[in-house]
Amino acid sequence: MMRARQQIIPYLFLLPALLLLVVFNLMPTIATLFESMFVISLRSGERVFAGFANYNRIFNDPIFWKSFQVTVVFSLLVNPIQIALALGLAVLINQRAPGIGIFRSIYLLPIAVSLNVTAIVWGLMLDQNSGMINGILLQLGIPRQPFLHSVDQALWSIIVIASWIGVPLWSLFILAGLQNIPPPVLEAAKIDGANAWQSFTKITLPLLRRVLAFVLVADTVANFLMFAPILLLTSGGPRLSTNLIMYETYRRGFLYGDLGASAAMLSVMLVIVFIIVGIELYALRGRD
Amino acid sequence: MNSKPLRSHAQPLVVYALLLLGVVIVIVPLMWAAAASFTPNHKVFEYAYPFSWRALFPVDFTLEAYDNLFDRGFGRAVGNTFFLAIATVIIGGAVNALAGFAFGRFEFRGKNALFLTIVMLTFMVPVDLTAIPRYILVNSFGWINTWQGLLIPGLANSLVIFLFRQFFAEIPQELIDAARVDGATWLRVLVSIILPISKPVLVAAALLMFISQWNAFFWPLLIAPTKEMRVVQVEISLAIGQYGTVWNELLAGSMIAAIVPILLVIPFQRYYVQAITGTGLE
Amino acid sequence: MLLRKLLLVTMLLGIFAILLAPASAQDEPTTITWLTLGWPTEAIIEEFEARNPDVSVEAEQVGFNDLFAQIQVRLGAGSEVPDVISVDVPLVSGYAFRNWLLPLDPVFTGDEVEDWLPAAIDAGSYEGTLYAAPVSTSTQLLFYNKGCFDRAGLMPPGADDRLTWEEIAEIAQQMTFDDDGDGTPDVWGFIWEQMVRIYQLQALPESLGGSAIGDDGMTVDGVINSPEWIEAYTYYYNMFNVWNAAPQGEEFWPADIFETGNICMFVGGPWNIPRFANNADLDIEWGVSRHPYFADGVPATPTGSWHIGVNANTENVDAATRFVHFISTGEGAEIWWRRGSGDFPAQQSVLALFATEEEFDALPMSYMRTAADEATVNPRPRAVTVGFLEYEQILQNIFQDIRNGADVEESLNLAVQRIDSEMAKYR
Repeated sequence: MMRARQQIIPYLFLLPALLLLVVFNLMPTIATLFESMFVISLRSGERVFAGFANYNRIFNDPIFWKSFQVTVVFSLLVNPIQIALALGLAVLINQRAPGIGIFRSIYLLPIAVSLNVTAIVWGLMLDQNSGMINGILLQLGIPRQPFLHSVDQALWSIIVIASWIGVPLWSLFILAGLQNIPPPVLEAAKIDGANAWQSFTKITLPLLRRVLAFVLVADTVANFLMFAPILLLTSGGPRLSTNLIMYETYRRGFLYGDLGASAAMLSVMLVIVFIIVGIELYALRGRD
Repeated sequence: MNSKPLRSHAQPLVVYALLLLGVVIVIVPLMWAAAASFTPNHKVFEYAYPFSWRALFPVDFTLEAYDNLFDRGFGRAVGNTFFLAIATVIIGGAVNALAGFAFGRFEFRGKNALFLTIVMLTFMVPVDLTAIPRYILVNSFGWINTWQGLLIPGLANSLVIFLFRQFFAEIPQELIDAARVDGATWLRVLVSIILPISKPVLVAAALLMFISQWNAFFWPLLIAPTKEMRVVQVEISLAIGQYGTVWNELLAGSMIAAIVPILLVIPFQRYYVQAITGTGLE
Repeated sequence: MLLRKLLLVTMLLGIFAILLAPASAQDEPTTITWLTLGWPTEAIIEEFEARNPDVSVEAEQVGFNDLFAQIQVRLGAGSEVPDVISVDVPLVSGYAFRNWLLPLDPVFTGDEVEDWLPAAIDAGSYEGTLYAAPVSTSTQLLFYNKGCFDRAGLMPPGADDRLTWEEIAEIAQQMTFDDDGDGTPDVWGFIWEQMVRIYQLQALPESLGGSAIGDDGMTVDGVINSPEWIEAYTYYYNMFNVWNAAPQGEEFWPADIFETGNICMFVGGPWNIPRFANNADLDIEWGVSRHPYFADGVPATPTGSWHIGVNANTENVDAATRFVHFISTGEGAEIWWRRGSGDFPAQQSVLALFATEEEFDALPMSYMRTAADEATVNPRPRAVTVGFLEYEQILQNIFQDIRNGADVEESLNLAVQRIDSEMAKYR
C-alpha cells in the first residue's frame, strides 16, 4: 500500500460520499438508535429519558427471544448455502465453453427482479392449493406440501426465495474476482501438475480472498436486514417460525408505533451483526 | 473457438447438465409470471395446478393487463424511475468510486475509523428502518414531492464503496507507479488507469446502483407518492387492492420492471469476456 | 423530538444551503394532499374543485397494505403533509390517542351528523369527540352458487333467510366434491372472504355472546380466550381441519374461484354483487342470503369501513376540512358512492337511494337492497381500542395458524400473550 504524500487528496475524494452518508444514513441511524433510550408518552408525545427500560422490556419479551432464535437459525443456514452455491455458480459460468455467454445472461435475470416481486411470484408458486410447485409434485406422484404454512417448511421456503436472487447476485461478484486472476498463474499450476481441485483450493481461493470477504460480509448483512418476503408472505408465521428480528423491528416501529422497543431491537441486532462481520473480516484478513 | 475448459478439468457434459439445471430454476418462475401477465386475470392459475406446460405459455393470450397498466400511467412511472436510476448510476457512481479509491489505495489518518464508523455502520442498518428521522430531515429541506428528495439520499451507497475498495486494492502497484512517474494526477490515475481495467466491477457496481434505485419502494412511497412522481414499484403495489389483487396487472408490472434492467445488463455481459481476452492470453 | 431536530437540522442546514434550492413557491390555489387508497378519485376531486376554485386536491394513492406504515411514519414524524387521510375506522382511536387527527365536531351541522349511521359516528369518535368523518360502511352477506345446491340435492336459501352456522357446516360438507379423486377437493363448500381477518371473524364469538375486547379497551385475557371464543374458533378450526369443507393454505380472494365454480358458498361484502352482476363471462347461477349466526346465539353482522380525517399538523385546516366535509355529506357523499369507491355509503340519505334507484329493481342488483338493510340490522363494529392495529394483526397471524391446523386454545392463549406485550406501551 502506498503512502500518499499529499495528505489532503484522499480526504477530498472521500468528502462527497462521506458527507452524503453522514447526512442521510449515519445521522438518521444515530437518531433512531437514540430513540431506544426514550419512552414516548403516546398520548402527549412527550419524550422521557428511560435509560435501559426499552432494553429491559425486549429482553423480558418471549416474542423477542423467539425471533432471536429464528434469526440465528436462518443466518446459520442461509449464508453458507448462498456462498457455496454462488461460488459454485461463478466457477461454472467462468468455464470456457461454447454458448457460455447465453448461460451467463440467463443467470443474471433474477438479479433484475426485485425482492418484492420475487417474493410474490414464489409465494404464488408455493401456494398449497393452486401453486405450480405442488402442481409439479402432483405430476410426480408426491403429495402436496404446505410450504409457507408449515412450521417445518416455512423458513426453508424463505431461504429458497432469498437464494433465488442471492445466489446469482453474489456469484456475479465472485465471477468478477475470478476474471481478475491472471490466467498465467493457473497455467503455471497446471504445468506443475496440480489437479483441478488442488489448483482451485491452493491458488484460486486464496486469490479470491478479498472478493470472498466482500461477498461474505455483504451477504451476511443483506440476510440480516432482509424482511420483505416475511412482510409480504408470512407475517412471521406460522407460529412465529419465520419471525426474523428485522421483521419484528419493522412491525414494532412502523406498524405499532413502538419506536423505543423497535430501536432497542435494532441496536441489539447491530451489535450482533458488527461482531459477526468483524469475525468474518478477521478470518479473511489480508496477510500481506 | 477453443472449447477446452481453461479454468478446470470438469467434464463438459457435467458442466452443461449443471448449467441447464440452474437455467430451469431461474427460468420457470419467470416464464410462469410472464405467461400469467398475458393471461386474463381469472385464468392466471388455471394451468399451474395440476401443472401443465400451458402454465409456461400464454395460451389465452391477452394484452388486457398491459393496457390497464399503461392507461393508469405506468409509462410515466417507468420514465420517472429510469431517469432516477440513470442519475444514480452516473452521480452515485462517481461519488462512490472516488471514496472506494481513497479507501482502497491510500494510507491516511483515520482511514480505518472512517471506514468502520461511517461506511460499515451505515451498510449494516436497513435504510427502511431509519426512515423516520430521514423523513424529518428531508421534510425540513422542503424536499417532499421533489426529485432531489428521491435522488440525493440514495446516491452514496456504502455497499458500492466497499465493493470498489475491495477491487481497487487488488490492482498491481506498478501500473499506478508508472502513471505517477509520468506526472499524472491521482484523479487521472483513477480515470485512465484504474477504471479501464476494472470493467467487471464497474458493471457490477452500476448494476447494484441501478437496481437499488429502480427497485426502490418504501422511500419513494414516503417522499413522493403523488401520481406525477410515482415510481415503478409503487405503481405495481397499487394492483394489490383492499378487496382483491389484480394478479395479471401485478405480474405485468413486474415483468416490465424486470425487463428494463435485463436489457441494460445483457449488452454489458461482454465486458466479462473482454476481461479475459484483454489479459492477452489468446 | 426537539433534541433530534436540533441534532439534525441545525448542524446541517448550513452545509446544505449550498446544495439545495428549496422548491416551494406557493401557487395561487391552496394545494392539499389526500393520502388514500387506489380508488377512482378523479370525479370527487373534479367536483370538489369546481365548487372550491381556491383549493386544489392532490391524491396520494398507496396500496392497502402500505397505508398503515405510511400513516405511522409521516404522522408519527409530525409532518404537515398529507393534509387529509383516509382512515380505516377501527384505527381512529389509535390515531386520536396519538393526537394525529383534528377534532371535527365543529365542521358538521346537527342534520349532517344525524344523517350518518349511528354505529359509524361511534366508530369515528374517540372519547366523545369526532376525529374521522364517516364516508362508507360495510356489511356481509352469504353468497352461494345455485349449481352446488342442485348437485347436492338441496334447496338454496332465499335472500332474506338467515342460515345458522350449524346449517352452513352441514351444507358445506355436502357441497365439497373431489372430482379428480386426488384426495383434495376441487369444489369446496365454504369460506370466509377475508378468511383470517378479525373484521369478518369477530362475528363468530359475538354471535355466541363473546366480546371483542375488555371494557377498558386493553384487556384481552379472559376475553379472547373465553369459552365463547374457544367455541367459535373451534367451529372455524373444524371447517378447515375436521370437516375439510374449506381450503387451507395461502390467503386468497374467494370471489376469484367462486366465479370459476370451485367455491360453493362464501360470506363476503356487497362489493361482490356488482362484480358478479357485471361479469359477462360468468356462467354460474348465484344468489345471496343474510349473514349466518349460531343457533344458540344472536345474529351479528360485521360492519365498519373507511372514514376520513384531517392531519392535526396541517397548514391548510380550512381547505382540508372543506374537502372532508364535502366527501362525507350530502352531494359529495353521493358522488363518492356513485363514481368513487363504490363502497356502501355511511349516510342514511345516500343509503336510501338503494330503495328508489331503478338500477336496483331487478335481480341480481336488487341484492344490494338486501345488503343495505343488513347494514342497518345487527351491525357489530370492531373492538374500540387504541391498539387496534396490533390486535388485528396478531389475531390475523393466529387465525391463519388455526386455519392451518394449530390448536385453538393454545393459539388464542398465544394471542393473549402477544397482544398484552404490545398493549403495555399504552398503559
